[in-house]
Amino acid sequence: MIYKVISKPEFRRFIDALVKANNSFGPRLADRTADGKPVYRFMPVSSVDEIDFDYTATASSAKHFFLPFSEELSRFRFHGSDWEQHSAYEADPVVLIGLRACDISALNILDDVLLNGNYPSPYYLAKRKNTFVIGLDHLPLPDCFCKSLAHHTVSTGFNLFCSDIGEKYYLSINSSKAFTYLKEFQTEDPSYEDNCLLTERRKLISDSFKTEIDVTSLPSILDIEFDSPVWEKWGSKCLNCGTCAMVCPTCYCYSLEERFDIDLKGASRNRKLYSCNLVDFAVVAGGHNFRPKNGDRLKYRYYHQHRGFAENDNQQICVGCNRCGRACLADINPKDVINDLRMEKDSCMICVSQSPGRI
Amino acid sequence: MHDMRFTIPRQDMNREAFASSVPDFNRKSEIMKTDTGYKCRITNIISLTEQEKLFQLRIADPQERRIFRFKPGQFLMLELPGYGDVPISISSASSNHEFIELCIRKAGHVTSALFRTEPGMHVAIRGPFGSSFPMDEMTGHHVLLVAGGLGIAPLRAPLFWINEHRDRFRDVHLLYGAKEPSQLLFSYQFEEWKTISHIRLHTIVEHSGAEWKGSTGMITELFRDITIDAKNTYAIVCGPPVMFKFVCSHLDRFGIPMNRMFVSLERRMHCGMGKCCRCMVGSTFTCIDGPVFDYWSVMNLKEAI
Amino acid sequence: MKNPVYTFEKLKFASFEFTCCEGCQLQLANREASLAEFFSLLDVRTFREISSEKHDDYDVAFVEGSISRSDEIERLLAIRRQAKTLVAFGTCACFGGVNSLKNRYPVEECIAEVYDGLPVESLPVRKISDIVKVDFSIPGCPVAKKEVEWIVVNLVTGSLATLPKYPVCVECKEQLNTCLFDLGEICLGPITRAGCDAVCTTGKTPCLGCRGPADDINFPAFLELVEKRGLSRRDLKEKLGFYNAFEAYPCP
Repeated sequence: MIYKVISKPEFRRFIDALVKANNSFGPRLADRTADGKPVYRFMPVSSVDEIDFDYTATASSAKHFFLPFSEELSRFRFHGSDWEQHSAYEADPVVLIGLRACDISALNILDDVLLNGNYPSPYYLAKRKNTFVIGLDHLPLPDCFCKSLAHHTVSTGFNLFCSDIGEKYYLSINSSKAFTYLKEFQTEDPSYEDNCLLTERRKLISDSFKTEIDVTSLPSILDIEFDSPVWEKWGSKCLNCGTCAMVCPTCYCYSLEERFDIDLKGASRNRKLYSCNLVDFAVVAGGHNFRPKNGDRLKYRYYHQHRGFAENDNQQICVGCNRCGRACLADINPKDVINDLRMEKDSCMICVSQSPGRI
Repeated sequence: MHDMRFTIPRQDMNREAFASSVPDFNRKSEIMKTDTGYKCRITNIISLTEQEKLFQLRIADPQERRIFRFKPGQFLMLELPGYGDVPISISSASSNHEFIELCIRKAGHVTSALFRTEPGMHVAIRGPFGSSFPMDEMTGHHVLLVAGGLGIAPLRAPLFWINEHRDRFRDVHLLYGAKEPSQLLFSYQFEEWKTISHIRLHTIVEHSGAEWKGSTGMITELFRDITIDAKNTYAIVCGPPVMFKFVCSHLDRFGIPMNRMFVSLERRMHCGMGKCCRCMVGSTFTCIDGPVFDYWSVMNLKEAI
Repeated sequence: MKNPVYTFEKLKFASFEFTCCEGCQLQLANREASLAEFFSLLDVRTFREISSEKHDDYDVAFVEGSISRSDEIERLLAIRRQAKTLVAFGTCACFGGVNSLKNRYPVEECIAEVYDGLPVESLPVRKISDIVKVDFSIPGCPVAKKEVEWIVVNLVTGSLATLPKYPVCVECKEQLNTCLFDLGEICLGPITRAGCDAVCTTGKTPCLGCRGPADDINFPAFLELVEKRGLSRRDLKEKLGFYNAFEAYPCP
């Protein structure tokens, strides 16, 4: 990692040059809600002026740049009793500007799952390697809880990370590519003062969190509370719409589907991101549904997010961006569900302490 | 202005760095084929019953054939291009490097289409995936194999293994139950198993006609006919979930330790690689942590049975 | 070598219309890019919109429209007798569709209003499955040609043909759309079956549920959502009733 500082006007010139030379995406105002709140989205940008550097958070994550909602994995061409299979992984270079620390942490988690296991995904790898990621720090929204999961800062997984220290950006340069491009622009080594400003900025961010979730020993609590009535309570609110998983930066579950071409001379094998909240996620051949109830499916999503599975060493995969909470039409959010789960036990603790053992 | 100096070059896709942790089934530096299958020629199809056929496959590419290795208990994803893929446990000997045998029941649309195939046609396989029966650990012990219905299919691989290393094992019992006599699969191999492999075979059917001379009833009734040296026995149980629940609790009562009973769980695997999460049971992947589990692990799995 | 798995026979196909706008059948003749391939899957025996030829030896019948006259019932029964596979095609056939709005008024009133008192027979509108057994439904107003192509391909190849079981929200989120509830609208997306690629909501038009309810929807939670957002119950009722697709979910 190399650290530099760059003045904001010079930074804009740098981004403009990058954006003009590459297929680039950045945060832009997409809509305003009925009550006037801005809605941001990662959209194509062709000049620096189109990028909203002061955006809060995008409604949907940047996951789909790396893990498309649907993707053709493989193609077959039939001839006679034989066929040929062709799989293509190539990805075109993309510049992605303005990812938050939590978004980049999410990519690091996806790296763990999709690249570092026994079966690395070439499709994901191609996109990950060909995406130039520029991070941008920000002050948390009132409902962000990434700090609880230690994802409010990030030290790897990006090409360039920019911290706003007032007149300048403090740059963490994490790739030779970024370093080479920046050589063309006026940057300076950070001064003592710049370092102080960065520390202050980090402290400000860290102190600005208003939402906190106690995630300590959550994996064990989730295991113990497998049959908790909390799941049914929240499950009864759930619309089964899958929105949470779609906007989530780390939900990666999918289904595979094979389709004949309309001319019947070939077929394709496709992956479609799926959500464990969708009704038929756990349906097996013969039609049996292993998770028939809303609560079962909701619970399963929390298991995956907060207990973690073997593929990434049983680590939580939630980064605390609360996109699922914001997008949920039924007002289900991690903070309330997890607190409820803890409360359940905490209120039980009262009876335990009053049990005959004490007398 | 398009300034070429800032155009990001296309990257090479170097998979080597990420392929280092590929499980080593004698394949060493080979990169696991997970996205593109091994093309296989169907060399033979044997009708076992109306609903079950045994497919014999041969990997088309000689080099790929050389590197394809599996362990008894593992499964693969069998793909009929255009129709989709299904998880099938491997029924042939792990020492057989020329052919792969898969016992397939006609259940869904993919298997129905597979039943329309003929020798000479091509299918694709991905894998092998999943855990296997601990054949080495079982060395020096008695072995009790219990199969219900199609459960005999995954048991064929360990049976071949035992046959090839017969001197390493003490008594080997195979208890095999089916609905009707006609549904006992591989009956043409029974004699071979008994005489060549010295396996004590006990069969039972739920419903039988006059011509059936064997036992009738549930598979657990066969336990009355055998004596088990529980301290020195390993058990492998394959069949429908209800069956292994009953069988395993029986074996538990005999005193076989739970971590010496092995079952093969079935879920609808999609990817086989622990990525798609479709076959999750509790927080366990059937496709990479399983399909072979010891009974102790299964007991502790939420939603398992 | 002839390949028994990849050699297919054309479907002996017929298409019929009942009370409808024939817009769904028109969709079959749309999407020029794949039109030739699409029709090479079919041996068209009867299809008034594209051909004047008429034969009764079809196996697969696509039926568009709802039933609102007694002679239509006769015709439909005859089609059912001939067809091995009968596909209800379009929202009118699957749910009654817009035509069902008529059922809210006395039949005489409708006849007087529309036909100015001419002696016209008109029954309350019914969906196809109210009269005969339906083997497969392809909802949509109009149907999505892409989905029809896929289902026809699956009928030809003997693959599994299913509609998505999840709601429109999934596809809407794939398009990265801003939720219409956040824009202050009532949208039936959370309870309507996907498969349309969220074409309406992507155009910022709330979903009216032309594809009917998704599997296992949580209707009480949906009512609560509309309530909580302070949106009009009347507007909701109107949207739910528009295509008659949510008959099974009465809104209090």
